[in-house]
Amino acid sequence: MKLSEKYNRLNVAATISIFIVGSCCFYFLLNYILIRELDEELKSEKQEIESYVVLHGALPEVVHTKNQYTFFKAAHAPLETVYVTGKHNYDGEEEDFREIHFTIAVQDRTYLVNVATPLEGTESLLQAIIAITVAMIAMILLAGYIINRVVIRKLWLPFYETIEKVKGYKIADIYVPVTEGGQIDEFSLLNQSINEMIAKVQQEYNALKGFTGQAAHEMQTPLAVIRSKLDMLVQDEDVARKNGQTITDIERSVQRLSRLHQSLLLLTKVENKQFSLNERVYIDQVVAGKCSEYDEMTEDRNITVSQQLSPTEIIFHHHLADILINNLVNNAIKYNRAGGTIDIVLIGKILTITNTSRSGQLDPFKIFKPFYRSETDGEGSGLGLSIVRQVCDTAGYFVGYDYVDGKHVFSVKFI
Amino acid sequence: MKVLIVEDEPALNRSIVEYLSSQQYLCESVNNYRDALAKTELYHYDCIVLDIMLPDGNGLNILRELQSAKKTDGVIIISARNELDDKIDGLRLGADDYLTKPFHLPELSMRIAAIIRRKNQQGSVMLTFEEIALDTSAKTVTVNSQNIMLTRKEYELLVYLITNKNRVLSKNAIAEHLWGDDMDIADNYDFIYAHIKNLRKKMLQAGARDYIHSVYGMGYKFALV
Repeated sequence: MKLSEKYNRLNVAATISIFIVGSCCFYFLLNYILIRELDEELKSEKQEIESYVVLHGALPEVVHTKNQYTFFKAAHAPLETVYVTGKHNYDGEEEDFREIHFTIAVQDRTYLVNVATPLEGTESLLQAIIAITVAMIAMILLAGYIINRVVIRKLWLPFYETIEKVKGYKIADIYVPVTEGGQIDEFSLLNQSINEMIAKVQQEYNALKGFTGQAAHEMQTPLAVIRSKLDMLVQDEDVARKNGQTITDIERSVQRLSRLHQSLLLLTKVENKQFSLNERVYIDQVVAGKCSEYDEMTEDRNITVSQQLSPTEIIFHHHLADILINNLVNNAIKYNRAGGTIDIVLIGKILTITNTSRSGQLDPFKIFKPFYRSETDGEGSGLGLSIVRQVCDTAGYFVGYDYVDGKHVFSVKFI
Repeated sequence: MKVLIVEDEPALNRSIVEYLSSQQYLCESVNNYRDALAKTELYHYDCIVLDIMLPDGNGLNILRELQSAKKTDGVIIISARNELDDKIDGLRLGADDYLTKPFHLPELSMRIAAIIRRKNQQGSVMLTFEEIALDTSAKTVTVNSQNIMLTRKEYELLVYLITNKNRVLSKNAIAEHLWGDDMDIADNYDFIYAHIKNLRKKMLQAGARDYIHSVYGMGYKFALV
């Protein structure tokens, strides 16, 4: 539920109940005042009659007007003066009347005087008041609705702009601080807080980025020393004879470490979006090139490679395209079995690489995670597919894994 | 052949000097930017091995100095940074080659030899060892003046072996030379064995002596004995 909606509901409920209670009070108060007014009139009528009686010693002549009816009746004993409201039919129509009943003595005889005034005027007044009240409620609700629809939406605009900006924010992008909505304190506060938070996050991110890069770089120098020392060491035939296997093992580890480190560095760079994806890349050519690079390997292992490549041009990055295809093709060969097959199909910007394998189905949720290795796999860095995933994520492509008929299927959608 | 080594890491600097000296190069070495600049201003080198990340300056500036002084020294950059931009910058500023750390010393040596061959204008592009001769521009090989046909990989292997003659070359170094860094397929060693076997067979058939010696299962050596 939106804030304005919630606010609206409360507002409407409160408005209606206040108006209802208010109207009731208003009605009763007004009714009371009007009756009092009538009573005053009746009282003065009574006084007029009394003074007429005192002056003339007889009852005044009865003149019925539309607004006043007077009746005299003989009474047995004097009564208290009372005011009553009741329905009477004085001129052919049943109507509400306000009446005064009092007794008056005229020459030793007592008369009951009854003066009645119709309530018709009062009733129409009340009707008018109720009509106005209802109209006011309706108008206020309508006005509220319009204000909410138009004004509130406009007022909240800076808020939504800020939200859009935060939603679209990527840490590697250069952040342009939000400044809209400067007139409203709450929004300014929100924007200010977001700007500060992002500045802090970005600062930390840059520090980390610099550190990763530097640390990775610092690692290559000692590796270079180890490797050069090994190259020197093997020149000593005595050492070589005695420690051939040891030196080979060390060399392999150095190489592995170096590759691992290169892969991590690459992964970091891709994550940091240090490649601008604005180059025209012919993916079919990249794939064909890779396959011919690996000819020797596939021939040696007696792996049959079939290619079905339609010309595909995408906006990408040459180096990343090369890495992407290399890692996929490399895996297809590396984990293949002797005499196996690799089918590469590129149609409609979708590349699928299907290969037979020594291993069974892989966990599709884990294979793209760093350092995931299947049990049969020993030598890999465990980063190849992570890099593929990261490159695809960066470029907005989809990469998926499937296991069909005992074959691994990797597909990349360059869309 | 005079080579200047500019590398601030002392251990690596020593190894390079030691290896290249054994290859009949005359090596001088410095470990900072200031000395490197002084040396390159004063002398001519056939090749400069240049680390671009030096504690007191950027090695790329040395390239700029060489360019503005119109010097023709060959330069190979060695850098821990495997950045495309660095490579492009270096090569644009007149470097002849770019090698990323960690590298194998035989690889460095081979590349230095290639640079010197290219730079040597009146000299030959020929690489010879006894009865074997390689024309490095036409990429042809003759044994006793008779052409032999080698595959691309076999040719590359032969160049690598001859430029690092009398040195023990580990299988790992050879693999990295032939397939580069991308190729991390585990059983490259079998391929090396296959290529060596084929190369040796072709050479022997053409009448060359067997110069390729296996060294205790860990590598190979190209030498007379």
